[in-house]
Amino acid sequence: MEKSGSVDSLGSKRSSSRQPSVDSLSSTSTSRSDRSAQAKPPFAMSSDSVAASAELSPEFRQVLRDSDKEPQLLPNETVQDYAQDVTYFCPFIGALRGTVIVTNYRLFFRSMDRELPFVLDMPLGVVSRVEKIGSASNRGDVSYGLVCKDIRNLRFAHKQMEDTLRKSIFEVLVKFAFPVSNGLQIFAFEYGQVFPENGWKVYDALSEYKRQGIPNESWRITKVNDHYEVCDTYPSTLAVPVNIPDEELKRVAAFRAKGRMPVLSWIHPESQATVTRCSQPMVGVNGKRSKEDEKYLQAIMDANAQSHKLFIFDARPSVNAAANKMKGGGYESEDAYQNAELVFLDIHNIHVMRESLRKLKDVVYPNIEDSHWLSNLESTHWLEHIKLILAGALRIADKVESGKTSVVVHCSDGWDRTGQLTSLAMLMLDGYYRTIYGFEVLLEKEWLSFGHRFQLRIGHGDKNHTDADRSPVFIQFIDCVWQLTRQFPAAFEFNEYFLVTILDHLYSCLFGTFLCNSEQQRLKEEIPKRTVSVWSYINSQLEEFTNPLYVNYSNHVLFPVVSLRHLELWVGYYIRWNPRMRPQEPVHQRHKELLAKRAELQKRVDELQREVTNRSASSLSEHAGSPTRSITPVQTFV
Amino acid sequence: MLTGSKTTFKVRQMLPDIKERMLSQSGVTARSRDVFGLRCLPGECVLQRAVMVRKKLSAREGRGWVSGTLFCTHFRVAFVPQDSPKPDDNADPVLLGDHDVALASIEKVVVVGPNRTKLVTPNSSLKFTPEELVLYCKDLQVICFLFDRLTPDAQVIEITYTIAKTYQPLKPGSVLSFQNAALGSVEMKQFLSNRRRNTHMNWFESASDWEQELERCGATGWRVSSVNDRFEMSTSLPRSIVVPQKVFDTELKKSFAHFNEGRIPRWCWRHPRGSDLLRMASFQNNIYHEKDDIRNLEMILFGCQSSLCVVVELGEELPSPADIQLAHGRLRALSLGDISTSVSVPDDKWLSTLESTRWLDYTRACLRKASEVACLLRGGHLTVALQEADDRDMGCVVSSLVQVMCDPHCRTQHGFQSLVQKEWVMAGHRFYSRINYHRDNDKEEAPVFLLFLDCVWQLLSQNPSRFQLTDDFLLALHDSIHLPLFSSFLANCQRERCKRSQNLGQSYTPVNGWRDMESSSDPSDPPLPSVWDWSLQYSKHRRDRFTQPVPPIPPLQPLLNGNLNTNPDTHRLTDSTPGSVFLLSRGVFSCPANLLPWRSGSSGVYKKSHRRAASSENVPGLERLLKAWALAEFPQGLTRSTPAPQGPLDPYEPLLPLLMGPCMGLWKECYLRGALHAQAFSHPVSANHPHPVERLAREVQQLEDQLAQVSTGTDPRPPTKMAEPRRADTNLNQNTNNGTFLFPAAPRPAPRAAPPPTSTNHQTSRGPPPASAPPSRLGHKDNKHTFLFGHPPGAEARPDQRYYPAPNSAKPPKGSGSSIAS
Repeated sequence: MEKSGSVDSLGSKRSSSRQPSVDSLSSTSTSRSDRSAQAKPPFAMSSDSVAASAELSPEFRQVLRDSDKEPQLLPNETVQDYAQDVTYFCPFIGALRGTVIVTNYRLFFRSMDRELPFVLDMPLGVVSRVEKIGSASNRGDVSYGLVCKDIRNLRFAHKQMEDTLRKSIFEVLVKFAFPVSNGLQIFAFEYGQVFPENGWKVYDALSEYKRQGIPNESWRITKVNDHYEVCDTYPSTLAVPVNIPDEELKRVAAFRAKGRMPVLSWIHPESQATVTRCSQPMVGVNGKRSKEDEKYLQAIMDANAQSHKLFIFDARPSVNAAANKMKGGGYESEDAYQNAELVFLDIHNIHVMRESLRKLKDVVYPNIEDSHWLSNLESTHWLEHIKLILAGALRIADKVESGKTSVVVHCSDGWDRTGQLTSLAMLMLDGYYRTIYGFEVLLEKEWLSFGHRFQLRIGHGDKNHTDADRSPVFIQFIDCVWQLTRQFPAAFEFNEYFLVTILDHLYSCLFGTFLCNSEQQRLKEEIPKRTVSVWSYINSQLEEFTNPLYVNYSNHVLFPVVSLRHLELWVGYYIRWNPRMRPQEPVHQRHKELLAKRAELQKRVDELQREVTNRSASSLSEHAGSPTRSITPVQTFV
Repeated sequence: MLTGSKTTFKVRQMLPDIKERMLSQSGVTARSRDVFGLRCLPGECVLQRAVMVRKKLSAREGRGWVSGTLFCTHFRVAFVPQDSPKPDDNADPVLLGDHDVALASIEKVVVVGPNRTKLVTPNSSLKFTPEELVLYCKDLQVICFLFDRLTPDAQVIEITYTIAKTYQPLKPGSVLSFQNAALGSVEMKQFLSNRRRNTHMNWFESASDWEQELERCGATGWRVSSVNDRFEMSTSLPRSIVVPQKVFDTELKKSFAHFNEGRIPRWCWRHPRGSDLLRMASFQNNIYHEKDDIRNLEMILFGCQSSLCVVVELGEELPSPADIQLAHGRLRALSLGDISTSVSVPDDKWLSTLESTRWLDYTRACLRKASEVACLLRGGHLTVALQEADDRDMGCVVSSLVQVMCDPHCRTQHGFQSLVQKEWVMAGHRFYSRINYHRDNDKEEAPVFLLFLDCVWQLLSQNPSRFQLTDDFLLALHDSIHLPLFSSFLANCQRERCKRSQNLGQSYTPVNGWRDMESSSDPSDPPLPSVWDWSLQYSKHRRDRFTQPVPPIPPLQPLLNGNLNTNPDTHRLTDSTPGSVFLLSRGVFSCPANLLPWRSGSSGVYKKSHRRAASSENVPGLERLLKAWALAEFPQGLTRSTPAPQGPLDPYEPLLPLLMGPCMGLWKECYLRGALHAQAFSHPVSANHPHPVERLAREVQQLEDQLAQVSTGTDPRPPTKMAEPRRADTNLNQNTNNGTFLFPAAPRPAPRAAPPPTSTNHQTSRGPPPASAPPSRLGHKDNKHTFLFGHPPGAEARPDQRYYPAPNSAKPPKGSGSSIAS
């Protein structure tokens, strides 16, 4: 599986899988762009929306039609500006001259001066910042650098505007790249595509808890947070121990940071050991205690008859946890919580992670220094962080599976590292989450409903790129999932392209799924009504995202090897813009072919078998009728 | 002897006793079976055994533990799992069972006691009863045995001592005694003498072998010369060498003196576009060039058809043998870790330490050089001569890598074996010195061949479907290098091999398969088999994994009729015109005055007439060829200047590797398989082997077999109808000639998982595992929720349960609920 995993993700690969024709191999010129081209649903509409679109000069429309160079526009996508004679400095093939079109959704560049057209098609949502690099060149060109969230930087230049009143196209771009900062609407609210599947119906909390067997004799569903009064970052539906009444829940919530009390994430179908998540206790410097909280954790432990112990996994390094006491937070003392054992998992905070990814970007984009590649990679510590997260999740899964012990997981606020750990542990423990639908449910549940602050961490449409709240927490999680798929290539129903697509639409702002910070906000913004879910898009073309080698191992627990020796950099994501990284062969295409062949052969075996049965039956009767004809078929199949 | 666990004693004291037992038993136990189920080799005797031992399974084997009996014979440390099926007494002996390790592969023996670890040497004494026995092997395996409380202490101590003193890592003569132990018995000798030589591959031993290769490559204008038949011209060259047709032997003889060790330019391979690949040693400079000599030298160098010759200097950019040795040593240390010294690189320094071994740099350098050469050859109509000082190390690496890249035949198992035979064994790579079996020549030791295998693995891992051989094959070859048993590796050149076989009266060269029992009486010199006699080494199911079960997507096409160069003469200048010669070094073409020693200095006739024309016209052309390689890393569409891509199905397009940092992988299945830290987590976890595709392909194979069966059953007159459907199927998969190895023509025995022929319904194979499934997986069964995927033995026992398709459906079952763990 060395290559096959990374293979499905890359642009060129993808197009070849969709249209397995020769041109997919020769048309790699567009491979750098068709990744982002894929960011739009393939059945996007085009021409009439151009005609209906903005008040463009006839001349401009002429240009568009003449060259037939317009991008395929999405519903309600409108062209905002265009410019000719723009130079795009491709770090891999050099400067290209061409046309730039900016719509309210994308940046579209097409080179004019090449026989084989070069296309760059990118949702504006990936732009993190736009910097004007002044008149760097002596010919009076103005140069703009686009720093992107998806591990690439773009650089454009065009002639100085003679008409000083006219804005540069990149100033127009800024407006639409950061709609929130400019009082505009994120494109997801305008995008009106209708898909055969409705992704907003993928997750229903009650049915997911029901799938896990909740409510049962130890756990109940509570409506205490129905109107997000107890905790505004939690979902409305929560599962808690049976013997804790709602009133006590509120007191527990008061003792936990942001009111995020321990609630059930997952329960083992046999041992009843549970994974529960929460935020840090508000212990503070004085070592405050809460009888309700202690009782509550005891109740969690008692709900599992198999073990008389409870493990509390604090995702932070112990130093950081201790430092939080100064801010009123802290961790559970083992004196206060009888039978509980506290384990620190040493995972660093969002700022460290952000810095690590920034270093990684420096190492992989645009150029890679071959001779020091490994030490450069090491110096980013990115894989080390991945390892720590996986190792933490592994310990949780091991305690629940092998130790039959319930665990409580928290970090500081319980919406970053906690979500990473619980969802990864659940992915290891429960094969359901390794299906496409199951994974969608997992994201909806552990990430979206439990209030991972996507808006804040990603900064959708926000120009404030230095915001300290931004952090690649979710990317890290998807990276960890990818590591799992590498180690267990047949255990996941989805392929690498599925993961890349999720990350692409994390930034694209085309779908509403990753907007806002919590379930409450999403409800308030009427996200499900006003936007399309990314799952609608994905579930409408599942075959694109299916791992042909998937085997249903739902009853198996995955225990990955978390040594750095067995982790790899996800080149199919982080280095996908580098054309030198193109995969050499369509391995997953081959898998599909093999599967088709197997099906075909199986069919033939069946047919022949039927024929044999029929024939031997008839020959038997014949045999009875005329004993002289003694050629009976071999009796093996009768 | 042993009174208890506290006993301390010197191992030395036991030696005579062992010897006695060896002698007394040798030859008697032929084809016998030890009572505990060890299938002994003829003449092999068990020195010691310990019962109730558990063996740690590697990731490849699925991890976890399996319990059984541990043996130490005078040839190997063997382990027989408790419930392994009874060995077939009539089967041919296999040197190493699935859990065995040859004594000669062991590098270090370490025992782990209650609170300590200790390196055990033949002289050391134990003051505690070991709980764990760890064998560090030269082939980077680490084998770990755990002694149970139920294992008798005396047995534990005794077997530890026995292993410690019989593996004898450094003792002179140990290689010979090892060979004798393995192969020296009368029965074994007889058995070996009856081995048939593999006829599917080219051994390059005789002139006809070379002619066959010339024909395969469609190389006209070359002939096989036997001028070196008695090794008089060059001691290190093979008997037969390929030279231009127009050079006569009498002229040829004069040219040997002009090259280091007499290694004149010899033909290796012809690219289908008509370029020839040559190898040679460096020029002897202090020699007077007569005019006739010069003419001959030029003719030899330019080969048969080209006016253009590029000399590729291999010394500069490639690692020296000493570099390789150093890098490999570091890689070993890094990979193995070592519990006896507790030196293991911390995880957070892993990447930079790996980088600092420089091993990956060296693989990259070799691949880069080979890619350059491959691109030059692709240009057509030129001669590329690889030049190395002695032409016995990097020349082998680069010439064979070029062929692996360009010639699909070399990516099949037999083609690859022929290639190694041609470019390494016969070409005189100093295997014997480089591997340093006797540990008496550390200065020369350098695992050049292992570096080559790593390069091939890089190509394989980047293009798995373009290879018919698998990494299992490469791994087996890697491991066999460390066994001092094979004639292929126990000599430095053909001359040495011949000398040895002559001493034996030619009787035991597996080459000829002639038998002559009389001369075998000298026990000091057992006959040595070839490494390619895989059935001698490994069991059938391991050998089955050497090749991909379904053919690669671009059908393997033999080069037999693939000579694209239909008329090689069109571009050739007249014979008397010497062409232009360029030197390729560091990616730059140049034309230094002293490149060909005879052209510099006094015999300057050539200077005026040709060098000028050459440098002005051909350099850009050549550079464009190389540029094509640099650009090949980009999608072709981006580079207008390059010729349109040939499409993936063009078998002559070289497989050019991606050489960027992130593309160069570490061969973990080889280097990290023994690493203890990787096994620290006690749960059985996944491994990537066998590749799911492999299993899928196996199923396709099974279905095809089933089809064959069914159609046999359908039609009472098999010859007419029965062949129909089967052929239709296989045609989809296989091209012209490869049916032989991909789908054996002989009717295969019903595959393990195929339904018994008596079943009415083929779907029975979805049911419980066949009773014959080796139940040796007991060690894991308790982990019922554990993901067992990638557990080869289990997978083989019950493949359908995991992978059975729903009939008529291309998708794997989603809800079939088939579970592996009971």
